[in-house]
Amino acid sequence: MNATRWLVTLPPTVFLLAFFLAPALIVVAASFREPGEFGGLAPFVAPSLEAYRFLFDDIIYAEIFARSFLVAALTTLICVVLAYPLAWLIARSPAKRRDLLVLLVILPFASNFLVRIYAWIMLLGPVNLLYTPFAVIAGMVYVHLPFMILPLYTNLEKHDPALLEAAQDLGASAWTRFWRVTFPLSLPGIFSGAALVFIPVLGMFAVPELLGGTGDMLIGNLIKEQFLDNRDWPLGAALSIMLTVAVLALAGLAAWGARRGLHGTEAVS
Amino acid sequence: MRPPSRQSHGDSLRSRRLLLAGALALPFWRVTRAAGDVLHLYNWNNYIGDATLARFAAACGCRVRQDYYSDNEEMLAKLEAGAEGYDLLVPTGNAVESLIRRAALRPIDRERLPHFANLKREFLDPWFDPGNRYSVPYATSITLLGFNADRMRALGLPTDSWALIFEPECLEKIKGKVTVLNSQRELMAAAMRYLGHSVQERDPAKWEAAKRLILRAKPWWATFSNSTYIKDLAIGNIWVAHGYSNDMFRAREDAKAAGRPFAIGFATPQEGAVLAVDSFVLHRSGRRPDLAHRFIDFMLEGENAADVSNLIGAGNTNAAAMAHILPEIAGEPAIFPPPAMLPRLEMLRDFEPRLRRRLARMWTEIKVR
Amino acid sequence: MKRPNIWLWTASLAVYAFLYIPLAVVVIFSFNDSMLNAEWVGFTLDWYAKLLGDGEMLRAAANSLLIALLSSSIATALGAMAGIAMHRWRFRWLPFLVLTPVAMPEILLGVSLLLFFRQVLDLTLGFFSILVAHITFSIGFVAVIVRARLAGMDESIFEAARDLGATPWASFRRVTLPLILPALVAGFLMSFTLSIDDFVITFFVAGVGVTTLPLQIYSMIKVAVTPEVNAVSTLLMALTLTLILTASRFAPDVLRGRQ
Repeated sequence: MNATRWLVTLPPTVFLLAFFLAPALIVVAASFREPGEFGGLAPFVAPSLEAYRFLFDDIIYAEIFARSFLVAALTTLICVVLAYPLAWLIARSPAKRRDLLVLLVILPFASNFLVRIYAWIMLLGPVNLLYTPFAVIAGMVYVHLPFMILPLYTNLEKHDPALLEAAQDLGASAWTRFWRVTFPLSLPGIFSGAALVFIPVLGMFAVPELLGGTGDMLIGNLIKEQFLDNRDWPLGAALSIMLTVAVLALAGLAAWGARRGLHGTEAVS
Repeated sequence: MRPPSRQSHGDSLRSRRLLLAGALALPFWRVTRAAGDVLHLYNWNNYIGDATLARFAAACGCRVRQDYYSDNEEMLAKLEAGAEGYDLLVPTGNAVESLIRRAALRPIDRERLPHFANLKREFLDPWFDPGNRYSVPYATSITLLGFNADRMRALGLPTDSWALIFEPECLEKIKGKVTVLNSQRELMAAAMRYLGHSVQERDPAKWEAAKRLILRAKPWWATFSNSTYIKDLAIGNIWVAHGYSNDMFRAREDAKAAGRPFAIGFATPQEGAVLAVDSFVLHRSGRRPDLAHRFIDFMLEGENAADVSNLIGAGNTNAAAMAHILPEIAGEPAIFPPPAMLPRLEMLRDFEPRLRRRLARMWTEIKVR
Repeated sequence: MKRPNIWLWTASLAVYAFLYIPLAVVVIFSFNDSMLNAEWVGFTLDWYAKLLGDGEMLRAAANSLLIALLSSSIATALGAMAGIAMHRWRFRWLPFLVLTPVAMPEILLGVSLLLFFRQVLDLTLGFFSILVAHITFSIGFVAVIVRARLAGMDESIFEAARDLGATPWASFRRVTLPLILPALVAGFLMSFTLSIDDFVITFFVAGVGVTTLPLQIYSMIKVAVTPEVNAVSTLLMALTLTLILTASRFAPDVLRGRQ
C-alpha cells in the first residue's frame, strides 16, 4: 500500500511546500531584518532580533493578543450555538432538500464581502449598535458562520439514526440523548469548525475596521498597519509569526485534547 | 455507520455535475484581447473621466487599461514586493519620494511634454522631486473637517477649527457623532497642527503631547474611519468627520442628489492642515513610456486636466484647467485654498524607520487605550 | 425516521434569517432609485442597465467566477487527499502543513506569495498567480472538513474492501469517495466562497489588467460604493444559484432522495 500512500499524500504536500512553505520562509526571514528607510527592507547586515525585542518589551502587544483571542473564542462559541440546530436540521432532512439547505447556507457568501458589511452598517446604524464591540462580534459571527455549519453538518450527517432510536427505546430523554449520544459523536465536527472559525477570526481586520468603534483594534489590524500604513515589514512579519505560532500551539493542544476526548466517545458508540 | 449506498453514488454523480457546471460559466468569460498598443495605468478609481479616456484612446489609437488602488501604501507594498508592468502611477508626494529613493521610477522626458507650461508655478519643483525630474503634478486634496451644516448651526459649533474634534466642550454636544481618519499620520498631523506644531516635527515629546490630546478626545468619537464616513455623513449617522476634501465633496453631492433634509459642508481648519499632491510618474517596469508620455501631455491640456476637479472635487495643479472647472468648485476655498492659507498647509513626509516605529507604538496605544 | 421537530425548525429559521436579512438589504437596494441608499426612494432597473454597460465590472465578475470554480475544484481534490492522508496515515507533520496557511494572516500570505512569484520564480503575475494563491489558502479548509468527516469512521470498511481484493482505486471509488462526498461538496462550497470573496491576497498577486470583482469593488470604496455593486452582487448570487441548481438537475439520481 506504500504506493497509494504517497500517491495520496504527495500532491497536496508538494503543492503546499512549494506555494506555502517556501514563500512563508521568505517572510520569516524578513522578520529578522531591519525596515528600509523608504519602505521594504534595509540592506542585510546581520540577523536582527530588534522586531521581536520591540514586541516583547511592551505589555501592550500582549494585551492585543489576549483581546483578539477572547474575541475569537467568543465568536467561535456563538457560531457553535447558532450552527448546531441548523446543521442538525440539514443532516436530518431528506437528501433532496438537504442539498438546497446547504446551498442556502453558502449562497449569501457568493455576494461581495464589502457589500454585506455595508448592509450591516445600514442595519446597525439606526439602532445605535454600529461602531460597538457588539457590531464587531455580530460581523465576525456572520462572516464565519458557514465555516462552522458545514463541518458540523458533514459530521452529523453520518451519524446513524438507529443509535438515537436505540437510546430512546432504552428510555433516554431527548436531552439525555443529545448530551450522551449526539453531542459526543459530533465533537470532531465542532473541533474542525472551531479551527476554521477561531483561526481566521484572529487575522481578520476588515470587520473591526468597518464595524468596530474606537477601542476595537485586534491583532489583524495591527499586522495590517505594519504592512499597509507604517511600512514596517519586519514588525508585521514578526507579529504574524508570533500569531501563527500561538495558533498552531493552541491547535496542537486542542488536537491532543480531542484525541483524548475521542477515545472517550468511542466507548459511547 | 451508514454503509455506502446507491444514493451516495448519486451524490458522486452530482458533484461531478457541479464541476461540469463550471464549464457553463466559460462563455461569460472573455479572454483579454491580444496586446497591441495598450497603456497600463495603476491609478485611484474614478480619477480620470471615462469620456476623457475615450478621447485619448481615439487620439492615440491605443487602449488604456486601468488597475486600481485605494491607498498609496497598498500600491507601494505591491510594487515593493515586485509587481510590474505598470506604465503610469499617480502617487502622493511622500510616496513619490519613496519610489524615487527606491529607484523605481523612470525620468520624465520634458521634451515630450509640450503642455508642461500649463502647470501652476506653486506646484513645480516640489521637495519630493526637486526639478520635477520624475513627476508631473496632477491633483490635490486637503485633509480637513466635513460636517452636517444644519446640525453645526443649530449647536452653534465652530467648523473652521480642529477644536471641533479635540476640545471636550465641543465634543460634549456631538458625542458619538464624530469619526476621525484611521491613519496614524493623518490624525496625529491634525493634532500637531492644533497644538501649533509642524506635521514634520521630529521631537518625540511633541508627538507625545499630540497623543495625549487624541486620547483625551477619543471617548467622544464614534470610530476611526477611512471610507465609511462618506456614506455616514450623507445619510446623517455622523455629524462631523475628519477626512479628505474629495470625500467631503462626494458626501455633499450625494446628500444633495438624494434630497437629504440637511446640507454637508467642509472647511479647512484655521490652524492648518495636510495637503496632498498626487503626481503622474512613470514606473520603471512599464513597457510603453512613449504612450505614458503622450498620456501625461494629453492630461496637461486644460480641458482634460479640469476633469479631476469636476469629477471628484479635487484641487487642480493646472492653470489652463481653471477656465474649464465648474465655478462652484473653482470657488470653493476648501478645494482651492486662498493664498493666505497656503503657508499653513503642509505635506506629509516619511520619517526614518526608528521614528516610524516609535510613532506606530503611540498609535497602537491610541487604538487600544 | 423521526421528522425534525418544530423547535429545530424555529431555531434554524432564525439562523437563516440572520444570514439573509443583510442580504435582503443588498438585493433590495440594487433596485433602489438612489445613489445613497439611505432609504427607499423608488424602483429602478438603472443600476442593472449601468452594470451591463460596464465592461470592466463584468470582466472582473467573470474572472472572479472562473477563478473561484477552478481554484475550488483543484483545492477540493488536493484538500481531500490531504484530509485522507491525515486520517489514514496520521503523519505528525501534515496537519501543521495544512493548517498553517489557514492560521497565517492573509496579508502575510499575500506578500509572501508575491515575493515568491516575482523574486524567486520570476513569474508574470496574472490569472495563474491568482489561481495558485486561492488554491493555497483553500486546501486547509477542505482538508479539515474531510478529516472531520472521516474521524471516528470504522476502519474495517476500508480493510474489508482491500481484503476482498479491490484495487486501491476501486476501493476509493466504491468506499471512500461515497463516504466523504458530503464533505467534498461542503469543502468545494467553502473554497468557492473564500475565493470569490478574497480581496487581500488577490490584491497582492493580481497582475496588470487581470482584476477580480473584490478588487474592483474595493477600489470604489473611496468613490463611494454605488448600488451598481449591489446589482453585480445580486447577479453573481443568482448565477451561482442557477449554476448549482442546474448541476444538480443534471443528476436525476439526487431527486430520488434518501431511502
